[in-house]
Amino acid sequence: MNLSYLIRRLVAVLVVMAIVTVAVFAITNVLPGNAALMILGENATAQNLAALERQLGLDRPLLVQYFDWVSGVVRGDLGMSLRLGLPVAEVVGSAFINSMWLAGLALAAVTVISIPLGALAAIKRGTVYDTGIGVFSYVGTALPEFVTATLLLVLFASPANPIFPAGGFADPMEDFGLFLTHAALPVATLGLVLMAHISRQVRSEMSEVLSSDYVRAARIKGLSERRVIWRHTLPNSMAPAVAVISLDIGYLLGGIIVVEEIFAWPGLGRLLIYALQNRDLPVIQAITLVLAVVYALSNLISDLVIAKLDPRVRYG
Amino acid sequence: MDSTPAAERPVLTVDGYSMAYDTDEGRIEALKNVSLSIHRGETHAIVGESGSGKTTLAWAITRYLPDNAHDLGGAILLSSEDMLAKTAAELTDLRGRRLAMVYQDPSSSLNPSMTLGDQVTEVLRRHRAMSPQEARSEAEAALARTGIRNPAAMMTRYPHEASGGEKQRVIIATAFACNPELIIFDEPTTALDILTANQIIELFLELREETGVAALYISHDLGLVSRVADTVSVLYQGEVVEQGDLKTVFAAPAHAYTQRLLAALPRPQDRLAVAAPQTDTPLMSLENIGVCYYTPSLLTRLLEPKTVAQYGARHISFSVRPGELLGVVGESGSGKSTIAKAATGLHPFEGRIVFDGKVYDSARALDRAYRRQVQIVFQHPDGSLNPRETIGRILARPLRLYDLVPRAQIAKRVAELLEMVLLPPEFASRYPHQLSGGQKQRVAIARAFAAEPRLVICDEITASLDVSVQATMARLLVDLQARSGAACIFITHDLNLVRQLAHRIVVMRNGAIVESFAAEDTEQTDRAPYTRELIDAVPVLDRPAISATTEVPHQ
Amino acid sequence: MGRILSTSNGVAGVILLTIVLTAALFGPWIAPYDPQLFHSQARLQGPSATHWLGTDQFGRDLLSRILNGAPSTVLFGMGATSLGVCAGTVIGVIAGVAGGRTDGVIMRILDGMLAMPELLFTLLIVTFLGGGTLQALLAVGVAFTPGMARIARSAVLSVRTREYVLAARARGESRSWIVLREVLPNAIGPIIVEATIRVSFAIMIGATLGFLGLGAQPPSTEWGLMVSEARQFMFRNPWGVIIPGIAIAMTAMGFNLFGDALRDAFDPKRSL
Repeated sequence: MNLSYLIRRLVAVLVVMAIVTVAVFAITNVLPGNAALMILGENATAQNLAALERQLGLDRPLLVQYFDWVSGVVRGDLGMSLRLGLPVAEVVGSAFINSMWLAGLALAAVTVISIPLGALAAIKRGTVYDTGIGVFSYVGTALPEFVTATLLLVLFASPANPIFPAGGFADPMEDFGLFLTHAALPVATLGLVLMAHISRQVRSEMSEVLSSDYVRAARIKGLSERRVIWRHTLPNSMAPAVAVISLDIGYLLGGIIVVEEIFAWPGLGRLLIYALQNRDLPVIQAITLVLAVVYALSNLISDLVIAKLDPRVRYG
Repeated sequence: MDSTPAAERPVLTVDGYSMAYDTDEGRIEALKNVSLSIHRGETHAIVGESGSGKTTLAWAITRYLPDNAHDLGGAILLSSEDMLAKTAAELTDLRGRRLAMVYQDPSSSLNPSMTLGDQVTEVLRRHRAMSPQEARSEAEAALARTGIRNPAAMMTRYPHEASGGEKQRVIIATAFACNPELIIFDEPTTALDILTANQIIELFLELREETGVAALYISHDLGLVSRVADTVSVLYQGEVVEQGDLKTVFAAPAHAYTQRLLAALPRPQDRLAVAAPQTDTPLMSLENIGVCYYTPSLLTRLLEPKTVAQYGARHISFSVRPGELLGVVGESGSGKSTIAKAATGLHPFEGRIVFDGKVYDSARALDRAYRRQVQIVFQHPDGSLNPRETIGRILARPLRLYDLVPRAQIAKRVAELLEMVLLPPEFASRYPHQLSGGQKQRVAIARAFAAEPRLVICDEITASLDVSVQATMARLLVDLQARSGAACIFITHDLNLVRQLAHRIVVMRNGAIVESFAAEDTEQTDRAPYTRELIDAVPVLDRPAISATTEVPHQ
Repeated sequence: MGRILSTSNGVAGVILLTIVLTAALFGPWIAPYDPQLFHSQARLQGPSATHWLGTDQFGRDLLSRILNGAPSTVLFGMGATSLGVCAGTVIGVIAGVAGGRTDGVIMRILDGMLAMPELLFTLLIVTFLGGGTLQALLAVGVAFTPGMARIARSAVLSVRTREYVLAARARGESRSWIVLREVLPNAIGPIIVEATIRVSFAIMIGATLGFLGLGAQPPSTEWGLMVSEARQFMFRNPWGVIIPGIAIAMTAMGFNLFGDALRDAFDPKRSL
């Protein structure tokens, strides 16, 4: 791992980000419907529409709008929300933190639970336990988040039997316990699909390692089964597991959108839905950029982790 | 109770052992009534081709069998102890300590995320109850004994940081570490280069002398086996067809299969080549050919100015005369396949190719005429043929592409081509997966010759085939060459084979030519040292000449 | 087909798919009631003899609504996926075959598209297209394109290095011949497997869009929309959300299992 590699990766990330911003700009401007229309409604007169567009700067040529926005981003200025009249950076900033709490908890839960789950399924292959995990993973990956969320609400947040609150948010800095009760169902919803998917992948990776030549050689050396699993199998299954998890982070970030909306969690997802409904372009663009950057950086971090875990990986 | 003194009791006894696998297609008998015995200090070779069951025998002895394997009868005894009756705990105890194994592929048999040193010490700590420090110094000593130059450094390396030969030495060191009674060697040199393989064999002979271990040596290479083994069992489709003292068996093989295997061994004195070309004007010349595999990007060059471009081969010049068979010999990484790719325009190159008077200075310049006249046959029969096309369509393609034969005559010509390579005409309607490896390779050769080329490049065409089939393939090639008058560049690592077939030989190493000479001058004293090493590494098996009429069934 | 049925995955997948496809093909005709008919006397009821799956807040029979929504759900999934597969395969094959700079540029653009979470991408597109089923289908199809292009490209790349392709190049075959006769027929396998599995994702995303009000509009019997409409009453009659949820899950699972079994059937070295 050397500096040169890191620099090349970061350059690649920047290039990708540029493409993302172009894509977002293209989508939001090429397709019909804009913020002025949303603010004034469908019955607005053409005059009023034009006036508002001029006021919001939407009548300038696309290229100008784009470069204006990009130069702002580089300076750290994400513009002003068209609907809320507040600086985008402020609005997105606090939402970002709330979302990261959710994503972080979900990721932690998923990692801690699904890796051992998948590993056990691989070791006890063919047993009832393995089949159980298999069924769980198939069912889990077939349930969209909104279905899981609704089911969990019915089970755990019904007015007749409220084990957890049906939504809302509490500041973790003030009352962590309360925060956790509010976070429980959203995290469970997000986590379920990921756990289902990742434990299955971990199982399949470990099964491959278990049938490899070097595990066979280790057994023929007469090493205890314990040593074979802990020293020869698990370490070689970790790198692929990390790779799978990092790919699923993209799915996690998408899932946040729906989950936050259902549970009224004040994060980026909920903000995005609001911004989309109101065609609030600066907010939409900022959130998309933020999510894409988070995804790209998490991929970079996971690549670094993989390099640490697998000595064969040589980035140079 | 056996009254034979311990020293004379065999270390391994296999007595009428049979075994089968349960598969989707039913029960397949992998081993039928196999019997053999190995005494202390004795090396017993198991010789056979793919599907003979030789590797299955190794797993049966170590009792490492999959769930769908069933013992059908007979016994396996390690120092008179019944192996089939051992519990899992007993097996874990004796594996590594009394019984060890050396594998075919050193790369895949070592844990990639564990240092080599740890992989040796763990066996010492497990079976000889050593402390970490004791184990480490003992491991270092073991590595030194196997000829590793800097054992302390090697201990800290990971498998991917060591060469194939070094990795195999580590595996051998691990196998010998606890002084086992029996070591099973499963084709230990197949994945290694000629010179490295030779060193490993020398190492084995030394260690065997030192320790007196009993060894079961599995291989398909009779030449090699004759250097290391005392006794031999020839395995064919799960059965032992011949067995006994190695020298006796090889000198006078009784069973037809043994005879076939021995006959298939290439011997330089069994000359198979066509008549030498009359003229001296070359058909094709390669002038200063270089093939670059990697040029660093602009960004890389800015950040790491010392990165250099990597060449598969450089400054290569040689020529081929019409009708000549030019052998190109080298180990892996020598660049010989790279040259094949350049000469067929599969990879861009620097330098010039002069073919039949015309000059081509880049891969793009190679025109249809050139491409028809220069054909190539690849190493792997499985990948050479499009799995979705019938054999007939595959062979018809060059006829169509080059307009060699009017539409109406194509089917007839395809039948002729199949006959030329000794395949029945009804194969035209079959698909590649229905053919064996040898049959597929024949189709690939037929396809090359279908274009009526003037030069056929053969890139290791026998390397992936079974021994008995290799000889047939070589004979076939020479026959076709004689019929068509085509020249041939025969790329291989098998020096004995190339000496049988070639008129001239080019030796390559690390992307450069070492030297070139006429085949009959191979043994001359003015050969380069590297060439000498290669020749000495593959001594020719001394066996009786087996007549060419010995039936070699088509495969 | 035989190999697919030999695994338990395959059997389960085929069973589920048969149920789902039967519903999709014949649903509207075998539905016992008119899906839009209000039965004001029997509102928010659980399963009963007259209404096998219960009713919603307007008294509409849930079984009929589910059966009615089946064809559009399955068609949506297959339609959106086909769109993505076609567009993606074309792009991926071009990138894989062209190599060099073209490939590099295409890969960069694909990386950019893939840097956005898929749902986000879909939401952006469908929002600015305006809502609606067709728009949602287009959006999902476009969002799938980069992922499918990646798969197609890697399938092409792995086939390109096979020796029969090298042999064709050495012969001097034209590029289009190589792509159409040597590469595509052999690369199509992984693409089809991925496409089958993606149908299940398309269905789930379609339902999500319906739930968010960006896809099908009332009074459509789209399953996601059904969950969204039943949400306010979910504590009074949870069946209103459970039934469509199970329907979605069954359909997605069916395609998923089938796709996995297909992958195992294609793969010569089956690692169980």
